[in-house]
Amino acid sequence: MSASLEKGIHALKEVIDAPIASYFESCVHCGLCAEACLFYTETGDPKYTPIHKLEPLRRVYEQEYTLLGRLKKVVGLSKPVTDAELDQWQELVYDSCTMCGRCSLVCPVGNDIVYMVRKFREGMAVSGHVPDGIRSATKRTVELGGPMGLKWPAVANVLKHVEENTGLKIPVDQAGADYLVLLSSMEIVNYPEYIEALAKIFHKAGISFTLASDAYEATNAGIQIGSSDLAKVIVSRIVDAAEKLKVKNVLSPECGHAYMAIRWEGPNLVGRPFGFNVVHVLELLDELRLKGVLKMKDKLKDPLILHDPCQIVRRGGVLQAPEPLIQQVAENYIPIADKQKLNWCCGGGGGASAIHTEEAEALRAKAFKIKKRQIEEAGVDTMVTFCANCRITIEEGFDHYEMNTKLLGLTELLAEHLED
Amino acid sequence: MQGPLIDTLARRGVTRRTFLKYCATLASMMALPPTAGRAMAEAMAAARRPSVIWLPFQECTGCTESITRSHSPTIEGMIFDMISLDYQETLMAAAGHQAEEARQNAMKDNAGKYLLIVDGSIPLGHDGAYSCIGGRSNVDMLKEAAAGAAAVIAVGSCASFGGIPKANPNPTGAVSVSDLVKDKPIVNIPGCPPIPVVMTGVLAHYLTFGSLPELDDKGRPKSFYGNTIHDRCYRRPFYDQGKFAKTFDDEGARQGWCLFELGCKGPVTHNACATVKWNGGTSWPVESGHGCLGCSEPDFWDGGSFYKALSAPADPLKFAAAAAVVGAGAGVAVSVANRVKKNTAKATHETTTLADLEK
Repeated sequence: MSASLEKGIHALKEVIDAPIASYFESCVHCGLCAEACLFYTETGDPKYTPIHKLEPLRRVYEQEYTLLGRLKKVVGLSKPVTDAELDQWQELVYDSCTMCGRCSLVCPVGNDIVYMVRKFREGMAVSGHVPDGIRSATKRTVELGGPMGLKWPAVANVLKHVEENTGLKIPVDQAGADYLVLLSSMEIVNYPEYIEALAKIFHKAGISFTLASDAYEATNAGIQIGSSDLAKVIVSRIVDAAEKLKVKNVLSPECGHAYMAIRWEGPNLVGRPFGFNVVHVLELLDELRLKGVLKMKDKLKDPLILHDPCQIVRRGGVLQAPEPLIQQVAENYIPIADKQKLNWCCGGGGGASAIHTEEAEALRAKAFKIKKRQIEEAGVDTMVTFCANCRITIEEGFDHYEMNTKLLGLTELLAEHLED
Repeated sequence: MQGPLIDTLARRGVTRRTFLKYCATLASMMALPPTAGRAMAEAMAAARRPSVIWLPFQECTGCTESITRSHSPTIEGMIFDMISLDYQETLMAAAGHQAEEARQNAMKDNAGKYLLIVDGSIPLGHDGAYSCIGGRSNVDMLKEAAAGAAAVIAVGSCASFGGIPKANPNPTGAVSVSDLVKDKPIVNIPGCPPIPVVMTGVLAHYLTFGSLPELDDKGRPKSFYGNTIHDRCYRRPFYDQGKFAKTFDDEGARQGWCLFELGCKGPVTHNACATVKWNGGTSWPVESGHGCLGCSEPDFWDGGSFYKALSAPADPLKFAAAAAVVGAGAGVAVSVANRVKKNTAKATHETTTLADLEK
């Protein structure tokens, strides 16, 4: 109950750093980022131009850190940022930005616009301009352990079912394992098949793994809302558990932003290098494929396309693993034009899928038209992806447009066709 | 010289095809539409020969030489055959009273219709006594001849802008044609000397369309003086790359780099040398390794040394050190101020808790 404009501005002053200064100074106002943003291409509304979503941050930078800006502020040419303005910007910086990073990719002067959105959210968070959905997800993650409010007993219950279905033991809190397996709540609740698939593959490959009862949640709502302090609290749980259990590797689940949070933001949040490696599940699977462990008994015949989750591929750098893996299990994989690092976002990343206002949902549905078009142009009935959040968003999109497209998770697909 | 021009040319071995090509080239040089070439050819081939009076004043005859004294007869030279050159001291056979009579007759017979070509400046000092012909001062003759002319063509920098006679300290009080003639259309064709084809271009335009070509603010035909030498110079790419010859015999000079630093006035000189070249397209000053003198611009002789670069400051490094110190100081001050502000913001950071997310 203490969020305020002053705190917000203070936070912005704090986060503005050399990269942000140089980004704002080098922006040439070409507008290429607009064409890279699905919220602009699908609505045609110029307010969704990515760099425009940062206007209040730009003004704070100008007024606080440039001579001309200070002068403009004094003579009234540059208006101070107000609460009302930030309120207006909330939609632009949360509802209509999934931090997918396509704008950063196309920027001709190399401005990382997503980096700035992430920092801008720091100020939005402490000035109280955040969507309720993301705020409550953050609260649940900090207070209860996960964005959906799952507690360990519920997770243990799911694991019991997994053990029954697969006949394989799921180790918990086992020190010295090769991999500490992290999950996202969505996988636990909506896609427990993922855990079954992992157990099967680990068993086949002879790799030891464990779950941690005090750190099973991989997602980090603190990053989505834009609060490094809270994000640090959340990520520290994993770091502490991994170092307590002395595991060699921490395995990020398919979930995109979880990978981003633990692999790329994590060490910066805790302020030191980790004593373990962070591996994305696809990186591990591709390694197993190259070792020849991942042999398939048969292949899926249906023609299908791949949806590359932004935070894993474009932002996360797992560029080479997905295609060989899908080709391993699918006979008729069709590469689409905008694939890999150029892929279009599902529309629900960066916390957007947690916002359940009518406007936000309508906007997501509009933005989803681009995925719909990709599916229709490829003429397929099946799409494969590897991010639980993408899966939820895409399934919502399918429902909205009453499409009969099948959506499959890559890890499960591989486990299903794995040689016995 | 009887009959249409085309017959005259044919007698001299110039085919109709060559003549058409020449007219097309002329038209394109003057930025006229392609059809104008044909119109020109037709108009000129059948032209009624207009009377032209050429008055040479305070000049060196270089302009006349430029147009008439080529190594071999040129079409430019032959174009003169299409005009009735009734008075030209250098070229005419008549002399003395006969010559003056020819001028008087031409002025009387073609009153209001003849073209007046002037080369050389007009001295006004001592009532014009510095340059007299047949006992009459140049200024007197010009005023008389201009009164009955359809238009005046000022050939060369002297007639156009005063030229070298007008250069400081201008002992004769020389002025240009346009300083004296105010009520007639004047075409300036500056250059020391001017390019022959510019002259013929203007004549061809007059014969074809009955009017003078489009002129710029200094009275020069835009089609020839619209660009600077620098704009069209084949050495321009070196300028853009910052490759300059520093002396006339260094590696840069041998490599044909830009002559800007050796004083080339190309960037401020409007003329067509770079595209038309000289001596039948053989070469031109910059191509021969010397910078442009700017001879077709007003007061070119008083513009300082030909070998002084246009915009190089006298001592480029005089204030550099001080400027660098001031700049660096300002930079440090701003960055210290900004750093203090950012660090203060960081130091006063209050750890965000869940309560801070709500208003």
